[in-house]
Amino acid sequence: MTGELAMTEPDQGPANPARRRVLAGFLTAYTASLVPWALAQPVAAPEHGAFMALSALLAGRRSLDAGLAARLFDALSAMYPHFTADARALLAQINQQHIDPAQLQSTLDGAHSPLAPLPRRIMRAWCLGLVGEGEATKCVAYENALNAVIVADVLKPPTYAYGEYGSWAKPPLAEGVNAS
Amino acid sequence: MQIQRGHYLAIAGDCVACHTAPGGKPYAGGLPVTTPIGPIFSTNITPSKKDGIGNYTLQQFSDAVRRGIRADGKRLYPAMPYTSYAQLTNADLDALYAYFMHGVQPVNTKPPRTHLPFPFNIRLSMAAWNALFLDHKPFVPDPKESPQWNRGAYLVRGLTHCGTCHTPRNLMMAEEPSHFLAGASLGTWFAPNITSDPTSGIGGWSEQAIVDYLKTGRAPGKAQAAGPMAEAVDNSFRYLTTDDLAAIATYLKTVPARRDPQDSKPVDTWGAAYADLASIRGKPLPKDPDDMSGAQLYDAYCSTCHQDRGQGSFDGGLPPLFHNTATGRSNTDNLVMAILDGVHLYGHGSTMQMPSFAGELTDRQVATLGAYVTQHFGNPSAKVSVDQVRRLRAGGAPSHLVLIAQVAVIVVLVIIALIIAFIILAIVRRRRRSTASTTHG
Amino acid sequence: MSAPTSAEVVVIGSGICGSLAAWKLATRGKQVLILEAGPRIDRGRIVAAFRNSPRKSDWMSPYPFSAWAPQPEYKPKSNGYLVQAGPYPYPAEYIRVVGGTTWHWSALAWRLVPNDVRIKSLYGVGVDWPVTYDELDPWYQEAEEQLGVAGLPDTGSPRKHPFPLPPVAEPWAMQRIRERLAPTYTVVGNTVARNSRSYGGRPACVGNNSCQPICPVNAQYLGINAVEAAKAAGVKVVPNAVVYRIEHDAKGRITAVDYYDPDKTSHRVSGKQFILAANGIESPKLLLLSSSSKYPNGLANSSGMVGRNLMDHPSNSLTFYADEEMWLGRGPQSPDSINTLRDGAFRSQHAAYRLDFTNISQVLGVTEALIEEGVYGPAFDQQLRWRAARQLSVKTLLEVLPNPDNRITLSSDKDAMGIPKPEAHYSIDAYTRRGAQAAREDFAKIAALLGGTGLRYTPKGEFSNNQHITGTLGMGDDPTRFVTDRFGRAHDHENLFCCGTGVMPTSATMNSTLTGVALALRTADHMAPLKAQAASTDTTREAVSS
Repeated sequence: MTGELAMTEPDQGPANPARRRVLAGFLTAYTASLVPWALAQPVAAPEHGAFMALSALLAGRRSLDAGLAARLFDALSAMYPHFTADARALLAQINQQHIDPAQLQSTLDGAHSPLAPLPRRIMRAWCLGLVGEGEATKCVAYENALNAVIVADVLKPPTYAYGEYGSWAKPPLAEGVNAS
Repeated sequence: MQIQRGHYLAIAGDCVACHTAPGGKPYAGGLPVTTPIGPIFSTNITPSKKDGIGNYTLQQFSDAVRRGIRADGKRLYPAMPYTSYAQLTNADLDALYAYFMHGVQPVNTKPPRTHLPFPFNIRLSMAAWNALFLDHKPFVPDPKESPQWNRGAYLVRGLTHCGTCHTPRNLMMAEEPSHFLAGASLGTWFAPNITSDPTSGIGGWSEQAIVDYLKTGRAPGKAQAAGPMAEAVDNSFRYLTTDDLAAIATYLKTVPARRDPQDSKPVDTWGAAYADLASIRGKPLPKDPDDMSGAQLYDAYCSTCHQDRGQGSFDGGLPPLFHNTATGRSNTDNLVMAILDGVHLYGHGSTMQMPSFAGELTDRQVATLGAYVTQHFGNPSAKVSVDQVRRLRAGGAPSHLVLIAQVAVIVVLVIIALIIAFIILAIVRRRRRSTASTTHG
Repeated sequence: MSAPTSAEVVVIGSGICGSLAAWKLATRGKQVLILEAGPRIDRGRIVAAFRNSPRKSDWMSPYPFSAWAPQPEYKPKSNGYLVQAGPYPYPAEYIRVVGGTTWHWSALAWRLVPNDVRIKSLYGVGVDWPVTYDELDPWYQEAEEQLGVAGLPDTGSPRKHPFPLPPVAEPWAMQRIRERLAPTYTVVGNTVARNSRSYGGRPACVGNNSCQPICPVNAQYLGINAVEAAKAAGVKVVPNAVVYRIEHDAKGRITAVDYYDPDKTSHRVSGKQFILAANGIESPKLLLLSSSSKYPNGLANSSGMVGRNLMDHPSNSLTFYADEEMWLGRGPQSPDSINTLRDGAFRSQHAAYRLDFTNISQVLGVTEALIEEGVYGPAFDQQLRWRAARQLSVKTLLEVLPNPDNRITLSSDKDAMGIPKPEAHYSIDAYTRRGAQAAREDFAKIAALLGGTGLRYTPKGEFSNNQHITGTLGMGDDPTRFVTDRFGRAHDHENLFCCGTGVMPTSATMNSTLTGVALALRTADHMAPLKAQAASTDTTREAVSS
């Protein structure tokens, strides 16, 4: 967990480096201390700032695909009209109350906060590639959803071939749990 | 011992490929070769006295194998690669003869006779062509080169008859010596440049990579055999000794380099992992399958094995599409052929390495898909057109393509022979001499 | 292009059973027409549709829904097509497209065990089949060769000839489970219609781990392969042809069928012989729909048994974490079983069952659980890997006894074409529940042997369904008790034959497709016997009737 920062370049980030924004600019000292590895995470547009900060806090990843981030933000804000404002409000609450991401959901649920659905929506988007609920659910990502990325050294997402006939009879490539 | 040696040589010469019908007895002939001018049937070369070559003397056998002349004096069509087999030493020829006379079970079945329409049925016309293009002399070792090189040269120029497919042909459909192994189209599949050129050919391959390729049909990170080459690996190369394969590799690495000017970098170094997931996830497919984008077609039909970014499986057993000659060549025929016909090569008990998509994809879909694949995983300047796909789809079964190409030889040479014959006939008439001796050119 | 208006043999339904029966009849020189209610679909587009699906665990989601040929769907909410009359839900799924429901199946192709067809005689429950296991052997073999079945020898179902294919390579996780459970339990590789090498013009499996909802590479045999074989043999297939009535003459012979196209224009196809192969729900529905003044209770229904004795394989399960990394999701979805509990004296007391170990990737379910639990931050990553590597699940396939009250009837509710919807009346009896209870004890032992933690049993009394629709057209010699005879011929109609799993008089514990196919091929043989066989089948028939 203490290795050097490994940041991915954005797929569709701004071409002009002078205009590039990074996550550090959207964090307070408290939230920055929670995700020190993500401070240089690119942020495509100012209105994405709170979403990206929450994404970094919730997903706990060293880096997030900036191109996918933009698509998820678009899908979430199209699905939920108050998404941007809610994200700002939740980030502000975390900053003010110094909420540990591990306790975030129980804190919100316990307080019957109207923001309680937000972390799950963001995590469903990143980890399952899904935005929305019930019949309105949209698939935005599959192969590069985080739940595929996190196990990509061992498993292929279903429908993708594992390998040549019989290759699955060998032990998996993974050597122990890898806390990335 | 001699019979065993002859058996090995028969494998190296891949005699069984043409002289066995599907599901038929080995060497009993009868493989129908569908050509634009009618089917040509391979002959029974078992030692059956009734239907095979059981009555052939050593000399008659030698004439057939090395000169293209049957025991009855009639000429063979050069579908039989006797121009290559002419290189055979007498000792090897004797061994082959011993094998075919004593190591092969006689089969008393007569394959259907070949009845080509006029003028293709004039076998004698081959004589003129042979006079021009057939080198009768057996292989002579080059004392300046190593024994390994000489062994490789002997095999490549002779028994394994690599030039039959890989050497382009001149106007009269004879192999062009100055472009030896420089690559040639077989009508559908393209037999690529295997000269020592590091860009267009295999100059950049290690000898081990060449040996692996011939042994398994695969050179990881470079290429995999398909079409007629896969058949050559399955029927012939995989059974050759490692020493012989190494000799072939040694020799191939010295074949004068020929470069396709369109190849601006080595054909097995193009491309990189790429995905266009943003354009397809969450988007419905168009109603008309012909309107599917390259990314959508790749997603639906290819990515399952070659993976979302074209990177292949963990162990490379399902190959990456980048750094792969199938996508890196400016000639995209083999890419289209692989999509249409699949890849059929023995391995892991299976023969179907890649299924055929001819029944699933339209010409336009293959063209769209091919363009996407070359654009992102291969040579971006390579093109795939709907017309090309249509032409290749109409080309017939892959196992017969070599011979179809060779039939073109016959077409041209028969015409030439007829022209020569008419000229000679005119001269002869003027001289009031009999026509009987004139066509014997 | 106008569709044919007559054929020697008219087949209703293009699923694996109907299509293989059609194929066989065509190879015997019959002129055969298949009418399929649903549309043609394309494998690659189903693969793409799955990847774009918002419901990856709903295996119906990538398949198109056709208003003219509705199919039961339950997610994101029930579409109400298969009306649930209770008391226990029967949420069967099937696909109405060319090729039928085996577009998604686990490809498990077990034969029955010999005692399965004699449970009345041996254990005093259910009914005996009108055929013995040995009689079925040649058709099992033919089905296995057609489907390309790979299996281990000696797994409880005797055979006279070897499997056409060697067993499919066993995934690492299953090897570990097998080793850890020995010798208490014997775990065996499943018998599957999945290529362990290229066979039948199809490639070997490459481990896509999506046998359901779709094998992307055609390595497992699907109904569409049967359709293609039938077409190659000369069978004509008309898609989007929704048969809504079967006609008969005064003597009770079937004369024609009527179908709607998607515009609800009616078409009529006459024939000499008819095969009803529209699965165990749509087939009885169609017989009941075709009632007439001569047959007021529906065709083939003088026994009153059409649609009755509906059976399936309910499942209860245990999910837990093993004490070592297994990483389910590498290779095929359903590779191994414990099949020693399929038969025994206990069958007089409780249901037999097969225990099935899933190899489906656990990543999706684990991700959903972690989000539900609110596991955020670096722990998410770590927990996802830990759970996905260790989570295992074992489930039962429980035998259900025939019960006339479990049945398919016509609903008063109608579909978009104005055709009454099927209605399921279903319950799970004490016999099956006792089997589920016995299996819970096995679950506990299995978990203990694998160092299991976090055990999650299916709540008592809850079962999931397996879409092995059986029994509604049960075969037997007594025309007052059974719909079809030992060859699948309707007792009431000399030229009407039923193909599919509906003719199975009991459900046993094995996925029903292979048995359905074997019976369908046997029916086709009976309809158009080879000269040499004609004598022997006639002899059998005489022996029975005498």
